[in-house]
Amino acid sequence: MKDLLASFAGWGVNVAIALTALRTNLMRSILTTLGVMIGVFSVILAVAVGNGAQVSVSQQIATLGSNMAIVVPQPDSGSGPPRSSDRGRLTERDGQAILREVSGVSAVAPQIRSSVQIVTPGRSATTQATGATPEYGIVSNITASEGRFLTQSDIGSAARVAVIGETVANKLFPDTSPVGETIRINRAPFTVIGLLESKGSNLGNDNDDQIVVPITTLRQRLLTTATQGPDDVTLIFVGFEDEDALLSGQKEIERLLRDRYRVAKGKINPFTVRTTTEIAETTGEVTQIFQAVLVAIASISLLVGGIGIMNIMLVSVTERTREIGLRMALGAKRSDIRNQFLVEAAVLCVIGGAIGLSLAILAASIFERIAEFPAPIGLDTAIMAVAFSAIIGLVFGGYPAIRASRLSPIEALRSE
Amino acid sequence: MTTPLLETHDLVKDYAIGGEIVHAVNNVSLSISRGEFVAIMGASGSGKSTFMNMIGCLDIPTSGTLLLDGIDTKSLDSDALAEIRNRKIGFVFQQFNLLARTSALDNVAVPLIYAGIGYAERRRRAQDKLEAMGLANRLQNTPAKLSGGQQQRVAIARALVTDPLMLLADEPTGALDTQTSLDIMGIFQKLNDDGITVVLVTHEPDIAEYAARRIVFRDGQVIEDAAVKSRRRASAT
Repeated sequence: MKDLLASFAGWGVNVAIALTALRTNLMRSILTTLGVMIGVFSVILAVAVGNGAQVSVSQQIATLGSNMAIVVPQPDSGSGPPRSSDRGRLTERDGQAILREVSGVSAVAPQIRSSVQIVTPGRSATTQATGATPEYGIVSNITASEGRFLTQSDIGSAARVAVIGETVANKLFPDTSPVGETIRINRAPFTVIGLLESKGSNLGNDNDDQIVVPITTLRQRLLTTATQGPDDVTLIFVGFEDEDALLSGQKEIERLLRDRYRVAKGKINPFTVRTTTEIAETTGEVTQIFQAVLVAIASISLLVGGIGIMNIMLVSVTERTREIGLRMALGAKRSDIRNQFLVEAAVLCVIGGAIGLSLAILAASIFERIAEFPAPIGLDTAIMAVAFSAIIGLVFGGYPAIRASRLSPIEALRSE
Repeated sequence: MTTPLLETHDLVKDYAIGGEIVHAVNNVSLSISRGEFVAIMGASGSGKSTFMNMIGCLDIPTSGTLLLDGIDTKSLDSDALAEIRNRKIGFVFQQFNLLARTSALDNVAVPLIYAGIGYAERRRRAQDKLEAMGLANRLQNTPAKLSGGQQQRVAIARALVTDPLMLLADEPTGALDTQTSLDIMGIFQKLNDDGITVVLVTHEPDIAEYAARRIVFRDGQVIEDAAVKSRRRASAT
């Protein structure tokens, strides 16, 4: 116990010695600390931005709706972009067949997507129109915050009605409520029947920059590019009752569609069925890679900071060789000398780490406010920063410290 | 009488300089008893400093035996040697070797850090020794604010703070003027009168005359070892 107290007191002394030494060369200490500071700052910020990207992506996935499969008439090209030349077909009747024959399906929402030009007196906007059915609202969890969403009778009568997103509404009707107003979509007059509930934006993708019109109306009035058949759709959302149904349903949809399009054995599917679970996984992987790359780049600056520490510690040991010799003559053991320089490096690193962490927290909050992008710095990140700095201190301060401790007392004492 | 404080048998220290082996200390056998005041003399390169470094456990002999307070130092590792330097030996250097920008009190307390003494006790003991050196009103002065003589007295206080058996002083007056040198020799004589063993390395014959015994080195060997005939006394201030 007494030994323990003594050794603890010894560390306290080492901190005092280190602070004195660092104060003696204040400018040099500040410059050295700066390296670690920038390193810790950039690593923490990179982690925060990566975390933010993950949060953002999972929010985006959540807006898609859960337990849903998305069927598109493009061959599964793996990770690459779909090739338009291989474009297959997908029809509303396929959707009906899925609802009828695949087990566990709660709703099917066929959609046609098209870019449209909207004009009101004095204003205009270009946005994406989704031709949909009331099931679209159910499957992807979309409701109207004002007015109403599409109904079955809108579809049956191919009514010229539109439910518009908040971004579109703000562009066209900055001062008034859009519900009940008339807008011209690709020159045809439509009545705004509702305002889509806001889903915000993630990763620069504005979920509110869209309008929804009846699928029948869109096909008859707005489609500018010719489709292959009268009931072709751009994609189908298939809602499932639960996750188990989704997992088995994905295979069932593929089998059903292969049958319907008579795809020969061995040929690849001319369509792709993706589940929200898969999308979440893939994008999760992508953002993790994104984060890893960011952290790797930031780590280089931390490494450079660490090398700066090592450099300065080597200079410090050389400059103070005589002092080391004196301390040895007065009874310092090798471990005392080693600890003295380790503590000096650690103090530099911890100060740098603390300032770097504070600046990173500040930068993250500014970033959140300006870029509206979450960059959360949690307790784990803060602890990581402290641990990082300590490790840098031990690793890069270790070599100079050990070198100092290996000096022969008499050689050290004789040096000028 | 008890065992001598220091005993050497055939002590040798070789250096390889430019492929040639130089015997800096060559087969030195002598003993120093408790309470002696010894001056080690010799020209530059005579081996006196090398000998002192070995008996101070700063340097390791090439061969031969060195017994310090009855302990054979050959079997000791670097930590044990550090402990001997800390507990049994007090060093005084020509250039004082005080830590710059550090108060006299903190300078004197340094050896106690390595002895594992707590903060309050360190300060108390350091203050006692500084007061005994007549520096009661200089405790917080840094070396830059002290005269050469005062700095050397701080260094002596530091050498004494762990209550060692032996003071090893390497040219302690080499950087001081005549009057201050005399003061310092007075301090050594008084400490010796109080019972501490003093070993002094010097090349100045008149400084050696304050010691009781004179050992002269030449070419790594002892050529003279005798009591000082007309010993000088300096009154301590």
